[in-house]
Amino acid sequence: MEILAQLIVSGIALGMIYAVIAFGYQLTFATSSTLNFGQGEALMLGALVGLSLVGYMNYWLMIPLVLIFGAMQGVFVERVAVLPALKTKSEFGWIMTTISLAIIFKNVAENIWGRDDLTFPSPLPTSPLQFFGIRVLPMEILVVFGALAIMLAVEIFNRKSIYGKAVVATSNDRDAAGLMGINTGMVITFSYALSSMTAAFAGVLVAPLTLTGATMGVVLGLKAFAVAIIGGLNSGMGVIVGGLLLGIAETTTGYYISTGYKDVPGLFLLLLVLAIKPAGMFGKSVIKKV
Amino acid sequence: MNNKIKSIITALAFATSVSAFAADTIKIGVSGPYTGGSSPMGVSMRDGVRLAAGEINAKGGVLGRKIELIERDDEAKNERGVQVTQELINKEHVVAAMGFINTGVSLAAQRFYQEARIPVINNVATGSIVTKQFLPPEFADNYVFRTSANDTIQSALIVKEVIDTRKLTKVAILADSTNYGQLGREDLEKALAAKNIKPVAVEKFNIKDVDMTAQLLKAKEAGAEAILTYAIGPELAQIANGMEKLGWKVPMIGSWTLSMGNFIDNAGKNGEGAMMPQTFIQEANTPKRKAFIEAYLKAYNPPNGRIPSPVSAAQGYDSMYILAAAIKQAGNTDGVKIREALESLNTKIDGVVTTYDHPYTHDNHEAITMDMVVMGKVMDGHVVSAHPVEMKESKEKAKK
Repeated sequence: MEILAQLIVSGIALGMIYAVIAFGYQLTFATSSTLNFGQGEALMLGALVGLSLVGYMNYWLMIPLVLIFGAMQGVFVERVAVLPALKTKSEFGWIMTTISLAIIFKNVAENIWGRDDLTFPSPLPTSPLQFFGIRVLPMEILVVFGALAIMLAVEIFNRKSIYGKAVVATSNDRDAAGLMGINTGMVITFSYALSSMTAAFAGVLVAPLTLTGATMGVVLGLKAFAVAIIGGLNSGMGVIVGGLLLGIAETTTGYYISTGYKDVPGLFLLLLVLAIKPAGMFGKSVIKKV
Repeated sequence: MNNKIKSIITALAFATSVSAFAADTIKIGVSGPYTGGSSPMGVSMRDGVRLAAGEINAKGGVLGRKIELIERDDEAKNERGVQVTQELINKEHVVAAMGFINTGVSLAAQRFYQEARIPVINNVATGSIVTKQFLPPEFADNYVFRTSANDTIQSALIVKEVIDTRKLTKVAILADSTNYGQLGREDLEKALAAKNIKPVAVEKFNIKDVDMTAQLLKAKEAGAEAILTYAIGPELAQIANGMEKLGWKVPMIGSWTLSMGNFIDNAGKNGEGAMMPQTFIQEANTPKRKAFIEAYLKAYNPPNGRIPSPVSAAQGYDSMYILAAAIKQAGNTDGVKIREALESLNTKIDGVVTTYDHPYTHDNHEAITMDMVVMGKVMDGHVVSAHPVEMKESKEKAKK
């Protein structure tokens, strides 16, 4: 029983990392029906920028700067890769452009920070805490709560502030929102800024647990995409549940079946969801009127 | 007209052949991962080779010609290794080559050297089958040589350390899913089977995996008293850190990669005490080793005065000297002649790892034998010899 609990706790920490990245996919999909396939790279850049800054200041002071950097990086992605595709009403142009930007970011990072994995100094003690025989690293707790906090902050912003309402209006009906005087282009740019910001934040959260390097975002970005699909691209609840499911599935399969198969249940779940409920477990299926 | 063209072609051909004779360098390929998770090994190997080549050139080179190293980064990727190998052979026309850190890359790429009849010395890759890929009767001659301790030797030493020295019989094997990890796991299982021991758990993980909880819990629940590893630095560090997280501390003993800088740094205090077989430890216990360490530190000034991978540096350095001696004995740079010279070296080579006395024969392409390898241990961020007595023996051997 203790083992299962330990596996679930580790799975939750892993799953929340996936969830917060998947949340970023969702933000841009809501406003513009586009995704930034460089979400993993946004996370990687956030972590590496954070690592460089941590040399000059403490971890907590560094976080707001990384958030600003992430937001700027998101705006850049939107302007360079997504806006031209939206302007020409290209259905799939943004897929290629965001993927190629991701590759460019990775190469740039390799040139600036090198291709080695670096250690990110942990802001919290590295010895585990013990609760009823279950051991948790303080950093894992921070990841879970940090991820929840940023998702909650974005949700509250969207629901309560006037700018947030513009975002919600745009996601509901872009044309109608435009007619009501909302600058929908601006809202889309803003959603990209938010999306990369959460990814960059996730980067500095996970970096002390994993190793930091130019390739750290590839696997995470991909798994988070699976989470976004499982949970549904328009459901905030969905990404959290999807993330937790995938994280726990990975650790428990690794233990109970075989560590060689630990990625299988996640992919299996993905196929299952796509076959039964293509909009995701919590997604609303949208009827497209032609 | 026809005659004129012919004469021009002849003249051109003559000119190019003359320029080939006039090229006064001997081109030698050096490939390895100079970037990525395996880079501490690749870079140390390259620097060791450079150091030796520099010394040889300072003394006038070989056959009156200078050695020119053609370095290529294979990024530890099999397909990239194939690419750079073909480039070295077909574009750079190297006469011999050294390198290959990753067993997988070596197995994928070295066939091109074999086909081109160009000798290649694997100076770091350890997979047992690396030198056994092209054996008679299928291939009359084998062009693959090695100056590292192969996995058969390493796993035997790891098992000896755990079972005989420490008297631990319940062991778990954790290996990564690459060629290196899985071939090493097989060797470990064989070495354990020879002592009638079956590992209580055999787990694997992928490169870049960040969570080792499941693997470690399985080993722990199976009652493992020691963890035997076959992986590279970053993931080994995740294992050591994962053990700390689970509050479970058993000896970690594994292949020589536990001496990599990126394991020691990323694992920090959790990596203390990890043990691994080493052909060379950065300790100045013979004059040759002292000179080598000083020269390396002076030339490359690595952080904390620690060679990123001392084993790779020493083996790289030695491989260059062995190759130079072979070229000298061959008297020219023909691949077949160099291979024959390597198989019948009649000069003793005073290397960093050992003194090489007839290191190779036609049927034995392994320069390192079990008695040249010692156990190292991570202590205060450095690798030191685990059994100083053993070190003394090897010190005397090196002196001989």
